[in-house]
Amino acid sequence: MTARIFLWAAALVIFVAGLLPLFFMVGASLFSNGNLNLAPYHELFHSGRQLLLLKNSLALSALVAVIATTLGVCLAILLGKCNLPSRSVLIFAFTIPFLVPPYIFALAWNEALTPGGILSLLVPEPWLEGLQAGLFTIWGAALVMSTVYLPVVMLLVMAFLHTVKPGVEEAARLCTPWHGVLTRVTLPLVLPGIAFCFLLVFVLTLGEYSVPSYLRYPVYPVEAFTQFSAMYDFKAATAASLPIGAVALIVLLVEIVLLYKKGTGLEVQPHAQGFLTIDLGRFAWPFAIILWGICVVVVLLPILALFYRAMTPGILEDVLEIGARPLVRSLVFAIIGGSILTVTGFLAAYLIKNRAIWSWWLVDMSSFLLFAIPGAVLAIGLIQLWNTRWTGSIYGTMWMVIIGYVARYYFVATRIMLVQLGAISKSMEEAAQLAGAGWIQRVAYILVPLSRKGLLAAWLCSFLFCLRDIDITMLVYPPGADTLPVRIFTVMANGRPEVVAGLCMLMVASVTLPATFLWRHFTSSKKVMP
Amino acid sequence: MDFEIRHKTSRPPVHLRSLLFALALVLSALSVAGCSKEQGPQGEKTVVVYVSEDQVFSQPVLKEFEKRTGIRVRAVYDTEETKSTGVMNRLLAEKDNPQADVYWANEPIRAQVLKQEGVAESYVSENARGIPPLFKDPDGYWTGFSARARVLIVNKGVKEEPRSIFDLASSRWKGRAVIANPLFGTTTAHIAALFTVLGDEKARAFMESMKENQVAISTSNGESADFVASGRYDFSLVDSDDAVNRIRQGRPVRMVYPDQGKGELGCFIVPNVVVLIKGCPHPKAARKLIDYLLSKEVERQLAFADCAQIPLHKGVEMPRGMKPLEDIRIMKVDYAKVATKMLEIQPFLREWAGLK
Repeated sequence: MTARIFLWAAALVIFVAGLLPLFFMVGASLFSNGNLNLAPYHELFHSGRQLLLLKNSLALSALVAVIATTLGVCLAILLGKCNLPSRSVLIFAFTIPFLVPPYIFALAWNEALTPGGILSLLVPEPWLEGLQAGLFTIWGAALVMSTVYLPVVMLLVMAFLHTVKPGVEEAARLCTPWHGVLTRVTLPLVLPGIAFCFLLVFVLTLGEYSVPSYLRYPVYPVEAFTQFSAMYDFKAATAASLPIGAVALIVLLVEIVLLYKKGTGLEVQPHAQGFLTIDLGRFAWPFAIILWGICVVVVLLPILALFYRAMTPGILEDVLEIGARPLVRSLVFAIIGGSILTVTGFLAAYLIKNRAIWSWWLVDMSSFLLFAIPGAVLAIGLIQLWNTRWTGSIYGTMWMVIIGYVARYYFVATRIMLVQLGAISKSMEEAAQLAGAGWIQRVAYILVPLSRKGLLAAWLCSFLFCLRDIDITMLVYPPGADTLPVRIFTVMANGRPEVVAGLCMLMVASVTLPATFLWRHFTSSKKVMP
Repeated sequence: MDFEIRHKTSRPPVHLRSLLFALALVLSALSVAGCSKEQGPQGEKTVVVYVSEDQVFSQPVLKEFEKRTGIRVRAVYDTEETKSTGVMNRLLAEKDNPQADVYWANEPIRAQVLKQEGVAESYVSENARGIPPLFKDPDGYWTGFSARARVLIVNKGVKEEPRSIFDLASSRWKGRAVIANPLFGTTTAHIAALFTVLGDEKARAFMESMKENQVAISTSNGESADFVASGRYDFSLVDSDDAVNRIRQGRPVRMVYPDQGKGELGCFIVPNVVVLIKGCPHPKAARKLIDYLLSKEVERQLAFADCAQIPLHKGVEMPRGMKPLEDIRIMKVDYAKVATKMLEIQPFLREWAGLK
């Protein structure tokens, strides 16, 4: 009974915070003055442009997912599993693009490639013009977004790699070298996790508005946004968002068919045994140099372009005056959002894994849908649902922002926890149940300790998603209480470029420190096996 | 397993301590959030304003208002430059239970849409007397102040500069001009204004000839100005604040007021406007803020700011080199008609911009 109350509460969170506003928007888009009106959908399906948008959205999402997953897995192995020199610094460096809103990184790339920018010191101007033109294509968009989402794959796969039992690898190591262990044992064991990362990046790219818009690559979110901002047409915007939702649901069905039936394949030890680290020997430094090369080109260069721009006298005072309070609010909102998401994500993952209540599939599908659709649609739905006389004590406060975060990023925490809980053998919980342990005891003394790293990963990812959010926050933040990404966004318009760059640097500095501290917890290894 | 459970219950394990630590962290965050929550008095000591004017220019004005009146301003900022869906959608979505008292828009078209949607309320401020009727709604639903002009920004490397917006369609400048995406902001308003002044047929023909002349489309007026400053294009049609901003940054550009000759079209003027929100929670404070925004002092402040906006009151002090309104040949338009036309030509503009 206790379990059911908790699990239903977790399910209700997503229904109330996310599904209800979405139904409200879809319902409103179907009716006009009380009569059924399918005009927005008629226009949607009779426009030849839809095919182009669908093709572009899928092509960009697939490209980014392939690049980010391939590179992310390689980085996760090298940085999370090998004794590479300066790997902590490399992890820190590769994570930076994910910590800032994606449009800032697109802007940074453009800044780097602009004639007169930092790259003009190294590259001849005609080449630079060609490179800048290339930035405004699918390849440019894919480069920027792959760089932004690469850390998601890298960090998650590292966490998944650390769940592999050392004993299994040790046994395999007796009869095959490390590359054989990796390809035949370790990677197949974490394959569900890798597949999850691929889908996560695919959906993230599918719903991303700011980068394709900045780089002028037409995709569905840009279309939905145009309906909002050019025509203030909520109905058409909702209609334009539905194809994204439909694609997201297809992806989810594929995932259910391909992955759920096979099981996750991961198993976690009841006692933390650490993980094995690969000794690269004489190859350690060459690998480190290659990674540093990639890191300099795809991460540090655009950041340096911003830094180069920000370096002016007195900039620190200006930046702190403009950005300090929004930064504090950003951190507070993200800490609360991340914590609520971790708890609800844990419970939701439990109910999905065990199919504990009949609506488990609805929780799963709705969280995925809410994650994929453009944030503006969800935010408008939240406003229309919550802005009433009866809910006035919540609307117009920071709790609206939190509700928005929970609805949008429920999927992230749930999926991380689902992979983690999937790795815990059900027999442990069953044995405890036989010994008389209640549900809360089983959760507190078996599931939580065994999924400690997953919980930390879920919190960290949820925190970061909340911290960098702009779509939801922009529309529901309480008057006078903007966050740093929103402040940067508004100051970008005719603000001094060095201040904008400085604010970006402030955000990077403020979030990388706690992120690095927490990440060190993941990367601590206990055994090294040559 | 039984032993394990008993063993663990006998002493709080490390993970529980971590959980307690996390809980403490969340509680501290909640308390900080509670302290920072905007709980200002709900009487007339607070005013909520939604702002579409760039934050860098509008925030100092609102801070000065706070200082002078003691009324706390809680603002939600937005920006046309980055085309956020922010405050305008928020105002429309909040229509049935308004949260904002005042909307400070950076152009009159949005205000006109709010009037049509029943979001605005009529208020004629005493301070609006000196503002020319062209820049006020006849029913008092919105009032203009401090304006921008739609100007040509020209790279200094160009010897013979363009003088008219019709130069965008001139073969002499083929592939050398750029404009912001006509689906957004002041560029849309400007094109809609051309439709009302020239008539649909001529305006469409002009748009088509611009397309044939390979006029490039940028994401914003600011980007257009940067393209011209970097020499990528020779000239562009932008807002005067974009041009002044680049000139003050020392970039190699100059600003040209277009179509200033006798019998020519004149320059399209885009005033800021202020709107009282219907059913707003703080109507008295809202009126005070509107009165303040429409004062000569604010117009002077915005004229000397980097946005270099043109005062609509006569006799307001301005920086050197800035043209007063009476020295500019103005394109005479009815902003209400422009707003209606803007919505009407959206399908055409989408098609023109290759979005259909």
